[in-house]
Amino acid sequence: MNFDANTIIYLLEIIVGGLLVGIGVHFVPVGGAPAAMAQATGIGTGTVQLAAGSGLTGLLSAGLMMYAMTLSPTFAQDGYSIWPILLTGAVGAMIMMDATMLTGSWIYAYAVGAPFASAKVNYDPITKFSQPPYVAPGTVGQGIPTVCFVSGTIGAAMGGLGGAMIYFPLVQINGNPAMSAIFAIGIFMVDAVLASWNIQGTIEGFHDPKFKKWPKAFKACLVSTAILAVVAILITPLVGGA
Amino acid sequence: MAAVRGFKIEPKQLRIYGLIGSVVGIYLAYLLNAITGTTIFSFVGALAAILGAVMGANAVRRVCAYGIGTGVPSIGMLSLGMGVVAVLFGLSIAEQMGIGVLGVIIALVYSMIFGYVVGLIANRVMGFNIPVMEEGLTDLSGAGTLAILGWSFAISGSLGYADIVNSVINTGFLAIIFICGGLAILHPFNANLGPDEKQDRTLVNAVMVGGMSTIATGICALMTLGLAAGMVQIVVGFAVWYYFFVWYYRLAARDASAVVGTGLLPPTVQ
Amino acid sequence: MDAFGMGLVAAMGALATVAGASEDIDSDIGSQSNPNSQVQLAAQVGNPHRIYNKAIAGEPPSNALWCTTAAIMAYVLIEGYGMPLLFAAAAGASLAALFDGVMSVSAYLGRNASQARFNQWIYLDILRYTTPSIMAHVWITSFCIVLISIMQVYILTPHHPFPIPVIALVWGLTVGAIGSSVGDIHYGGEREFQWRLFGQGLNTMLSGQIVRKAEAGLRNSIDNAWFCAKFGGPCTGMGFGLTVFLDNWRTTVFDPITQATYAILMGVFFVIVMNLYNFYCELSARRKYGPYPGYKGDIAA
Repeated sequence: MNFDANTIIYLLEIIVGGLLVGIGVHFVPVGGAPAAMAQATGIGTGTVQLAAGSGLTGLLSAGLMMYAMTLSPTFAQDGYSIWPILLTGAVGAMIMMDATMLTGSWIYAYAVGAPFASAKVNYDPITKFSQPPYVAPGTVGQGIPTVCFVSGTIGAAMGGLGGAMIYFPLVQINGNPAMSAIFAIGIFMVDAVLASWNIQGTIEGFHDPKFKKWPKAFKACLVSTAILAVVAILITPLVGGA
Repeated sequence: MAAVRGFKIEPKQLRIYGLIGSVVGIYLAYLLNAITGTTIFSFVGALAAILGAVMGANAVRRVCAYGIGTGVPSIGMLSLGMGVVAVLFGLSIAEQMGIGVLGVIIALVYSMIFGYVVGLIANRVMGFNIPVMEEGLTDLSGAGTLAILGWSFAISGSLGYADIVNSVINTGFLAIIFICGGLAILHPFNANLGPDEKQDRTLVNAVMVGGMSTIATGICALMTLGLAAGMVQIVVGFAVWYYFFVWYYRLAARDASAVVGTGLLPPTVQ
Repeated sequence: MDAFGMGLVAAMGALATVAGASEDIDSDIGSQSNPNSQVQLAAQVGNPHRIYNKAIAGEPPSNALWCTTAAIMAYVLIEGYGMPLLFAAAAGASLAALFDGVMSVSAYLGRNASQARFNQWIYLDILRYTTPSIMAHVWITSFCIVLISIMQVYILTPHHPFPIPVIALVWGLTVGAIGSSVGDIHYGGEREFQWRLFGQGLNTMLSGQIVRKAEAGLRNSIDNAWFCAKFGGPCTGMGFGLTVFLDNWRTTVFDPITQATYAILMGVFFVIVMNLYNFYCELSARRKYGPYPGYKGDIAA
């Protein structure tokens, strides 16, 4: 292990990645079990699982892109370029999240037969549609209105970006995609769980009053990712260690 | 179905059994392998991992009894997420410092400290105010670490960083340890959730899932350690699974209001 | 871009669609994940039932387990014993189905035993005829996902750098997340509560009042699969198929080494299209269904 300026950069990248995951979770509109009964607005599943599903799909894309770069004939001079890897991670995560929300919307619209509405705001901040008339009696909204959809897309982008940002320095530190992937999954899970504890399971997106709690998750993820990141940069490639 | 054996264990007692038993088990497996010069005894590592998982299952049981708002699975994933990082760090740093076999201890200590910190964060920053949170998360991350270490040993047959990396990580077998260990920790409480949940039933279920994980690692060991070591592990895993599955069935039958072959709804409510 | 790669991506999309559909039906038969909360609640509010209660740690982790189990078995057979890819995937899926059977049985026994005070019985015939059906669907799911992982690692170029079990773990988590967010709505929002007014979500007052009787006799979980296979399952398959297909399509059509920018822009284009499509869905649902009759006047802006 030799410390230099790069080590600090790797450390910061991992921490920022963890923070992006933690904050990104707050954007994802999850309604938990009630949403699956069309009883609450949002996607009907748990926060952690959805964030993990999208973020890790992004991680798969990012891993492929990063590996593809090493195959390039000019790799020896160019090295990795960070932006394509991060962006492809974000795009992969966004595709997964949007495909999920879109097909979920079909079921809300065509099987349950309910118009989409949020009970947390009176007017959709993006489409300016009035919400309360469309909230079914005895529920707190249903379906995925545009604002939730956009918010979910942003959240997935942050999650995918964060996952790729954790993965990117790890591969450069230990040069082992398999190890980095598992390690990134580990860090991702810790941050996603902490963030989902912060929102207590359900949130509608950035327009939800609960969203204001994000500084707490920011602190929590900062501390925990920092502890994990310090450890991560100490792991050596096999060649040096063995 | 008379007199099914049940039991009750205090968390403190179980923690001692889990931590000491698991660490001793991993080292015992290491010594047996080293002395005999074979990898046949790798299955002892898997058994040690089961002890750790049982401890974790009890911690899940205690923490989740308070209701954490996101369901049981998240806490199991957290436990294994912390465990993966701790194990890789512990083994790697021990190798760099030239004290290879102490990696287990380093990983365990690191993970327990980290678990405690996360517990503190949950209580202080997020305002959970669950009294057993710090304790529970310390146990959980320790359990996740021990489960990963034990089953990794069962696949690699060695505690060397290079061996673990080659046979567990590069092959991707860590994924099965990750998820199987996670299920061994979180499935028992999740599967027995309800007002009449009993500690013995939950813990027996944990051992049962641990037996299944041992079968899975045995299959991995077929490739990394060869036919003999792998088969021994599969057989041991199957034996553990079968014994505890039968026990679990009896405990479920003991606790249920009725076990019927078939029938309509219970008479009081038809 | 080559025709072979495109064919592979199309095959992966098709496999993913099948995997998603069978995943959702598997979870509907077992009442896994979110609708499980209502099945669990039913007994507590005085409605004991004959519906399978398979609570295995939420759909994403449990599906990750099946897929990873199948993947390690396949990987061991391919790398260690040189078996053909298809045979290895089938053998792996069989092991995964066995694991699933054990976990499902233990969850059914445990959950119902923990509700003894609500007079919820354990029916052994349910275990006998429903568990094989669950296992069969899990077989399909894990077979498809292992094949996808095998294609990504061995056949599709550039080969994916992650090992097969890790890819299967990630796809398992993803298919579980999609299954629990898409298909479960059809089961939880529609099938579990068929006697309430159509066209709205579940009124909180009705929580736990699930349908327990069928056209003839008592409703069982196979009936739920029959219902959900018509819309919830295919939609889930569509969601997962779109994820796998679009994500791999963009890196196959555009070479990730030289045309990375196009690959990313293509993904952004898909995302925008899906956002607009959802807006269209919202618009048409609002226009066609209109506001709820009980609503007393709009709020002034």
